[in-house]
Amino acid sequence: MWTRMNEIDRMFSAMDLLRSINSDSSYGESSGWRVVGGFPKTNMYDNGDSFHVIAEVPGVSKENLNIRIQGNYLELSGTRKSDAPEGYKTHRVERNQSTFTRSFTLAADVDADKIQAVLKDGLLTLVLPKAESAKPKQITIN
Amino acid sequence: MNKDMEVTKRSENMVEKQQDLATVAPVVDIYENDEEILLHADMPGVTKDKISVNVDNGKLEISGVRNLQTKGAESWQEFDDIEYRRVFSVPQTIDVAKVNAELKDGTLKLHLPKAEVAKPRTIEIRTA
Repeated sequence: MWTRMNEIDRMFSAMDLLRSINSDSSYGESSGWRVVGGFPKTNMYDNGDSFHVIAEVPGVSKENLNIRIQGNYLELSGTRKSDAPEGYKTHRVERNQSTFTRSFTLAADVDADKIQAVLKDGLLTLVLPKAESAKPKQITIN
Repeated sequence: MNKDMEVTKRSENMVEKQQDLATVAPVVDIYENDEEILLHADMPGVTKDKISVNVDNGKLEISGVRNLQTKGAESWQEFDDIEYRRVFSVPQTIDVAKVNAELKDGTLKLHLPKAEVAKPRTIEIRTA
């Protein structure tokens, strides 16, 4: 039975392949990539003693990004400026310019002084160490 | 029959079946002046060495693969490893040898200069 299922699977993935070649599926269009919470899209990971947040901010420079933190409240905001060159005729504009704000309530308080933020290749990576009181602790049994 | 199928799909890695990256088309802006066609594409998280640009027989293909370096348990994930790919038809008059590309803040900027013969020319009228 499983063998047969795999055959079917394979057939579907072949169809997927054809589909992906033929369709220009953009973000938000195809069901698998619907925007969940608006711009920028973020990933959040919990590392035990710190949170990792990654946000997709293509075309946004360091100067145009603001990160605010208070207790367990994190806010990302910024502007995506138009990079349209002067003296060119426009054929197509899909990359929209906007101001954006997104805020998050983290699962625990973080230590605001030790936050690291790196912007690289259009991804903003934040490392937010949890506050001392929120860190997991090993309990020794007497 | 698309990415929704994943619920019913067995996604474990089997010898004959490799996990394919989802492919999406990057959003682009296209500009043109007398000298060149300029294309801006958003490819956040793609590094320079993972991008390929091919011009062949009137087709321009750009593609880039993103590998996220992540660790820890995910609380939520709105984007993932992905392959950006998009094919454009370009005029044959593009000077392929002079095409150049730069990558900054996750945006690929591609300059496609027009060949000399394709540039507009002003014809002067002489008085006889």
